[in-house]
Amino acid sequence: MQSSNAATTRRQRFDQFVGIYHQDMYRYAAWLSRDKAVAEDVVQEALLRAWKSLDALRDDSSAKQWLLTIVRRENARYFERKRLETVDIDNLTASQAALLAVEEDRELDDMRQAIYELDDDYREPLVLQVLMGYSTNEIAEQMGLKQGAVLTRLHRARARLREKMAQR
Amino acid sequence: MNCEEYRKAIAAEPSFDGGAAHLSECAGCQAYRKEMQELDRSIGRALSLDVPELVLPELPDIDNVTTLPKRRRPALTFLALAATVVLAAFVGFRMIDTGGEYGSLGEELLAHIDHERGALVVTDVPVSDDLLAQVVPTSIARLDQNTGLFTYARTCPVNGKTVPHLVMQGERGPVTIILMPDEKISGPETVEGESVRGVILPVGDGSIAIFGEREEALDNIERKILDSVSWST
Repeated sequence: MQSSNAATTRRQRFDQFVGIYHQDMYRYAAWLSRDKAVAEDVVQEALLRAWKSLDALRDDSSAKQWLLTIVRRENARYFERKRLETVDIDNLTASQAALLAVEEDRELDDMRQAIYELDDDYREPLVLQVLMGYSTNEIAEQMGLKQGAVLTRLHRARARLREKMAQR
Repeated sequence: MNCEEYRKAIAAEPSFDGGAAHLSECAGCQAYRKEMQELDRSIGRALSLDVPELVLPELPDIDNVTTLPKRRRPALTFLALAATVVLAAFVGFRMIDTGGEYGSLGEELLAHIDHERGALVVTDVPVSDDLLAQVVPTSIARLDQNTGLFTYARTCPVNGKTVPHLVMQGERGPVTIILMPDEKISGPETVEGESVRGVILPVGDGSIAIFGEREEALDNIERKILDSVSWST
């Protein structure tokens, strides 16, 4: 009986995290991989891994960071497994192109395209800062960088986006 | 701080609030700061991709499940909490603990909305009923199903409490609604941000914050929300 209660509590805890953070997990995966279908696969794998190692998460307030770290690792594993090369932005698959599906808002389209074309090194800290609300310290920790390097990447990322948007 | 240093800092973190002395004297950097903040709003919108409905993978049974104890708060935290309670009681009925970081609840809410810009997406894709029920469980509040189209739902920390953060689509753009069942205020408070404005309304022993674009007619949404929400406790 006690084991059953513990299992129910565990499942409720997992469902709560997934309900709250699923969108962040998917968007992070999508911008890491630049591919909607890959993002869905990565999130599925990440959820499975999170379920199996849920008991390792001791502090619920760290759940978001914990889940996004799992997504990051699963994304790296996915590309390692598939031995995928860097996405060729001139020859997109349907799933990659879906990430850039045309919106009614031209400016939104242009910005999405510009972000898509950023190098991984610049795109990831930007996603973590703007979308996930990470501080530069947290980004440094997540990406294994020094804070100075994160600040430089963020500065350059915005400079490139500003430049690209001005050209459109 | 000179222009180059300031612009590097603001481009790395558009919320950077240092260099006030330089900023006050430099019209060029004031314009650059504004441009960076607008660029960031645009980046936030672009990054907020539509998310497909969640389909959970098949989860295996976990043998010998044990629930690990949560990390204990350090004793100092308990002392700090106790001190806060005593101070709140001393101050009187005003139950808003604004904390050290923000001057008021309104400021904290504005900062939170700015921090979570990904929520402010113009869309007609509603969140699922399941997610809405998870974020606003009946143990907290009852939300009339006919309230409107919610396009974002998440629990968020506000003033040390975890509260539902919802977004509806207004006439001029997304409207943020934050349900705070335990945040008692003595009367309505208006809040003015740089590009948004809002109101915090007292509702029973709690309050509800509603924020929208400056041009948004919030009155209708306020009425609708007040008619639709009832606290469970």
